[in-house]
Amino acid sequence: MLNPFVPRLRNISLYLHIPFCENKCPYCAFDSFTPNEGDVDLYLELIEKEVEWWSRRLGRVTFSTCYIGGGTPTTLTGPQWLRLTQILDKYFDFKSKAEITVEANPNSLKTEHLLHWRDWRVNRISLGVQSFDDAELIQLGRIHNSAQAHNAISAALAASFSVSIDLMFGLPKQTFQNWGRTLKESVASGVQHLSLYQLSFEPGSAWENMPKETLPDGYCPYRWAQWYLPRKGYMQYEVANFSRAGRESKHNINYWREGEYLGLGLGASGYLSGWRYKNTSVFREYSELLRLKKSVIVSGERLSLDAKSKEAFILALRMSEGINRNDYKNKYGELNEQNLIKTLRTFPNDLYEITKGNIALTAKGMRVANIIWTDLI
Amino acid sequence: MPLNRIRNFSIIAHVDHGKSTLADRLLEETKTVQKRNMKAQLLDMLELERERGITIKSVPVRMNYKAKDGEEYILNLIDTPGHADFTYEVSRSLAACEGAVLVVDAAQGVQAQTVANSYLAADLDIELVPVLNKVDLPAAQPDRVKHEIKEIIGIDAEDAVLVSAKTGEGMPDVLERIIRDMPAPVGDADAPLQALIFDSVYDNYKGVICYVRVKNGVLKANKTIRFMATGRDYELDEVGVFRPAMEPVEELGPGEVGYISATIKSIDEARVGDTITDATRPCIEALPGYKEVKPVVFCGYYPVERENTNQLREALEKLQINDSSISFEPENSVALGFGFRCGFLGLLHMEISKERLNREFDVDLVATAPNVVYQVVLTNGDIIEAHRPSDFPDPAKIAETREPYIKLSIFIPDEFVGPTMSLCQEKRGNYVAMDYLAPERVRLTYNMPLAEFILDFHDRLKSCTRGYASLDYEHMGFKADDLVKVDILLQNEPVDAFSFICHAEQAYQRGHSVVGKLKELIPRQLFEIPVQAAIGQKVIVRMNIKAVRKDVLAKCYGGDITRKNKLLEKQKKGKKRMKQVGKVAIPQEAFYAFMNVTKAEDK
Repeated sequence: MLNPFVPRLRNISLYLHIPFCENKCPYCAFDSFTPNEGDVDLYLELIEKEVEWWSRRLGRVTFSTCYIGGGTPTTLTGPQWLRLTQILDKYFDFKSKAEITVEANPNSLKTEHLLHWRDWRVNRISLGVQSFDDAELIQLGRIHNSAQAHNAISAALAASFSVSIDLMFGLPKQTFQNWGRTLKESVASGVQHLSLYQLSFEPGSAWENMPKETLPDGYCPYRWAQWYLPRKGYMQYEVANFSRAGRESKHNINYWREGEYLGLGLGASGYLSGWRYKNTSVFREYSELLRLKKSVIVSGERLSLDAKSKEAFILALRMSEGINRNDYKNKYGELNEQNLIKTLRTFPNDLYEITKGNIALTAKGMRVANIIWTDLI
Repeated sequence: MPLNRIRNFSIIAHVDHGKSTLADRLLEETKTVQKRNMKAQLLDMLELERERGITIKSVPVRMNYKAKDGEEYILNLIDTPGHADFTYEVSRSLAACEGAVLVVDAAQGVQAQTVANSYLAADLDIELVPVLNKVDLPAAQPDRVKHEIKEIIGIDAEDAVLVSAKTGEGMPDVLERIIRDMPAPVGDADAPLQALIFDSVYDNYKGVICYVRVKNGVLKANKTIRFMATGRDYELDEVGVFRPAMEPVEELGPGEVGYISATIKSIDEARVGDTITDATRPCIEALPGYKEVKPVVFCGYYPVERENTNQLREALEKLQINDSSISFEPENSVALGFGFRCGFLGLLHMEISKERLNREFDVDLVATAPNVVYQVVLTNGDIIEAHRPSDFPDPAKIAETREPYIKLSIFIPDEFVGPTMSLCQEKRGNYVAMDYLAPERVRLTYNMPLAEFILDFHDRLKSCTRGYASLDYEHMGFKADDLVKVDILLQNEPVDAFSFICHAEQAYQRGHSVVGKLKELIPRQLFEIPVQAAIGQKVIVRMNIKAVRKDVLAKCYGGDITRKNKLLEKQKKGKKRMKQVGKVAIPQEAFYAFMNVTKAEDK
């Protein structure tokens, strides 16, 4: 199953998946479920086995960034967190200034989490706020309210974490005013980073069969965010992400720059030396394979240079900074670059910008990026 | 068999008056087919014929009958199609007969094709035996219908045979009347061979099989025959008759009907209407043949899967072998790729050919909207034929445009005169006459452009007369009209697949509906797309397809990259199915819908 590979292991990131949620949100298609008694402790045991498995192959890796996501990582209690971080420290190292993010839900973020995270090395918290409108939160099936969201943000900021929040737009019946208020409250709350997601009915979510026509056109809320947030000091650095200067997510930028990352946990994905892999999403299989000291990877692919060159181009176009032409040409050759530029030029020229050193989408281009990528792939 | 004991006849009738059922009963009555082997509409061999309850091909069958006078007779029944599109096939079959049974529904009375087919028979000097069918129905009014036959067609129907093909009532009388009233064939067995090919089919084992009627001389296996039109000689492999399956016989004498096979490879070598003679002792003159039919309705056939063009060509070639009235030539469409422009005798013929290709040859195809042939007189005096909109020259070079007209007879109960007349008016029909055939039955006669007729006339007529109308038409040739070619432009570039020809007065309305439909069907793209309808340089309609403003932007982090790529690939495939015309991607549905638009725009 596992191809022989020699990881470069420079600037490698770590992703760790916590597949538990108190309850499943109807729009969510991620691998997560409500844990039964003992599931969390069992999972930590299994994570240790998986970490061991990797460390036997990679040795003691030093990570530049780390992201512990989910699911809801705050379903783990303080002692469980202690156990998890002990496992990581036992086998891995982190650079001294490594960006380490944990995802949290406003209703389950406790002081014990903040205390433990600060004692360990977490420096960034990503909060699933979604909205500051209580009616919208109910509509989305969230189990927190806007007051809890504000409290969680304040607590995290007070504990001197860098805070990012997720927000959703394009909800049925969401008004321009509602969305505007949510953005204003977000800015006022003092968070350093915002991720904006348009609601869609994803296959695998509870809402997958909802009629797509009930979803409004996302143009107005997105366009407004692109106009409003930069004026408040949050620059758009990626299609869905805005941040104060220097607070961009280094971990995510690593994905878009085709950096390597090790993925751990149920259903996690990783990318090492040009090789993408995915772990099993089935808990029983995950646990059985690890008990037998076997790999939990169920699929893997090594992209052709051609496919990789396109993927790199598309991923980099997600970011305002775009593609560094010299780096790109060195990696994938002039011909690939020219072909992709040729395709880009079939689009109206206010959607992209090609300079001597860079290729990037404009703000307008970001709004229709999906269509552009469809032609580039 | 002496000539005076042979009768060759057809059955002619309006659609649904019970022609095929009557034929079935005759086969039973003469024990040509055992009752237990009987399936309904036995002579309608094509699956499609049975399903639709119509006859398309002429099938001859030989019956032996012992008449009341104690003599044995041979009765050759040559079945005929009943739809106006196939008038040509009817006249072919009739030319091989001396008589015809005219079947009229005793409840519905005389209908359009009753008249048309009776006229054809009269023209060919054929004796008619009127038969009133369905007399068992409560609504039957035999006396009224007898009167109608006399009044409308002009033949005496006082002693018409009353039958019910369903129950079998009256069948022996029909047989007796065929023998009594129809003339026996005449011919000379010792004269040089003269046999008329009245139809031909292709058989995978035997090659082309010709259906023949011998006039003079004798057809015998192993003889060398000559086809007079081509002058080519063939050795006869087999001579036979239909009972109704093919059954070899030693010889076919004068007046007899049967088939021959002679290892003929293509239908071109054995043309319908040609005369077969003896190569060693040829006759001097060929029998009168048939007028060559010219297709009047054209449409494009394209394979659904583009790579299947050759399969479609082979299927068309095979179909043509069985139906020489179909013509086709390759053509290329921006939207649909490589296909064929096919000519047909009428709309039903077109539809049926499409279904036959689909069922018998397993070809999936797309048919474009039908159109007629136009004549264009150029300023330099030349006349060209336009089979498709792109054949139309630049408006500056056109001196005159002409379109084919038909003379249309519509039979309706008088309560529907109003709506029918306004429909004909709307379809640019010119009123010719209105005749009361009976107190409550009217015949309307209009001259109408064929193009309007093929659009959707039949369906509209049916709905505005609640199905009570019947119609027949004949071609009248070309008439000058103010016709224009309307081009549809996307981003200022004409797209040939969307061009159409119409009367100048309708150009705006039709242009508007086509442009509106395209605006609906072409997805928004990253730039604004002007959609225009234009005559020459003059734009008559303009609408814009607005540019996409925003697409759903899904997030994409580590775990999503593979999934996101797959999604993009999928979207790309979806886009590939669209046709790129200039910078604009047009979905296939737009082309298909456009074909319907020209059909439904006036509704």
